[in-house]
Amino acid sequence: MQININNLSFAYGAKTIISNLSLTLNGGDYLVVRGKNGSGKSTFIKCLLGFNLVKSGMIFYDKVDITDFKSWTRFGYVSQNFDDFNYEFPITVGELLQISSLKRTKESERLKLLEKMGIFDIINQNINSLSGGQLQRVFIVRAMLNSPEVLILDEPTASIDKQNKEFFYSTIEDLHQLGITIILITHNDDIEQLNYTHLLSMYGDLTTSFEERGVELKEGVL
Amino acid sequence: MILSFITDLFQQDFMLRALIAGIMLGILAPLLGTFVVVRRLSFIADTLGHFSLVGISISLFLSSLGVTMFFDKPLYLGIIFSVIGGLLIEMFRRSYNNFQEISMVIVISLGAALSAIFFSLSKKTGSLYNYLFGSILTVTNYYIILILITALVVAILFILFGKQILAVSFDESSAKFLGINVNLFQIVFIIMLSVVVSVLLESAGVLLISSMMVIPVAAGIKLGWSYKSTLIISIVFSELSVFFGLWLAYSLNIPSGAAIVSINIIILLVVAVTKKIVLKKRIAKMDKLQ
Repeated sequence: MQININNLSFAYGAKTIISNLSLTLNGGDYLVVRGKNGSGKSTFIKCLLGFNLVKSGMIFYDKVDITDFKSWTRFGYVSQNFDDFNYEFPITVGELLQISSLKRTKESERLKLLEKMGIFDIINQNINSLSGGQLQRVFIVRAMLNSPEVLILDEPTASIDKQNKEFFYSTIEDLHQLGITIILITHNDDIEQLNYTHLLSMYGDLTTSFEERGVELKEGVL
Repeated sequence: MILSFITDLFQQDFMLRALIAGIMLGILAPLLGTFVVVRRLSFIADTLGHFSLVGISISLFLSSLGVTMFFDKPLYLGIIFSVIGGLLIEMFRRSYNNFQEISMVIVISLGAALSAIFFSLSKKTGSLYNYLFGSILTVTNYYIILILITALVVAILFILFGKQILAVSFDESSAKFLGINVNLFQIVFIIMLSVVVSVLLESAGVLLISSMMVIPVAAGIKLGWSYKSTLIISIVFSELSVFFGLWLAYSLNIPSGAAIVSINIIILLVVAVTKKIVLKKRIAKMDKLQ
């Protein structure tokens, strides 16, 4: 899927968070979005996912304007700290994956993903009894269940230990090798471990830079 | 004593009707209650009940003027107002996205105020007691048909869309990536909930309907290890409360809704205390082993 962002600006009330951001990603690219807290990383992701309504600028998915875009099943999304999920109510890993599967996803594919992520043995466990690392793996499996073309991860390593972080980065690398477009939001200190193709830096003062790895400044810089 | 109650259940028509209504209430209330609790909207049934009361009071007011609507069954206008209340909650919920409970306070206040006005104008404040506390022992045949149809429609909706309703309830923001039209689903869910709450209102009462939906689920959460087991445990607790509540109401001549809710609370307390004791013992055992 090709993603085009043209002169995107976003403000919460009078406070501008993103200003005139432009970039293009092609299918199979791996974009890392880095920046400090409050630099607009999550706001940017919310615009990409259609949670924030874009009032200035345009976002196109395969040349379809985001306001007309309906094929959201082509995306997989792992949110920051799983904030929106009510994991205090009992539900097992298996049940969660079952309600998160589209009709086209086979049971065997579900189990294969669980095995690959090393969490096959916790399928009958209650979500609220899992560790941060296990929970994160479950949410990645959930995002991958319906074979998305684009996987968006919003600071997914914020609350996990070093060992789980390394496992997570190698998993993302594997998924990228399979041709999935990756958009990963992370803190500055993580990016050296990542094998990304594109880097978007958000500096927190409305300035941004977008570069292709190994290539000087490509396009769309304020 | 309980044997004569069971004999009467099957020999007396009004008792049999109460039993059928009770069994349906015992299933529907915790079934929808689990979704309400997952979505952290435990007060919604209370709010819808109050708004349903507006329809009932308007119906009584109109009949006092000689205008009979909907075959003179106040519950029908109650159902319509419950749906209006549900849609109002949804509308306010979207404009106060981070303060969802505000929407319920607005609707519950409006509901309480309007129903007080129309009950007073209708001069039938005597019937208010039944609507507030419910009267499962006096339900009629038409009500049995209505509750059975409601249960059937809910069953069909859950068979067709249960997976989607659960997905939206657990994680609204991710449901979009499953191809679910979240806004449409919210409206369908709130309409279904509004209809069920107002139908159950006649047997459970405005003030107790919320308890019947939430308390069995509160006990179920303490024991459940999965969504399915929590739902089954909640329904079992709910049915036990209905059966023993009916028995108490029949034997002691007390309001049935109040008796059912009291048993619900007793079950919750027993479950909570027993779980705490068992956990303490388990921890002590583990400490000993170490």
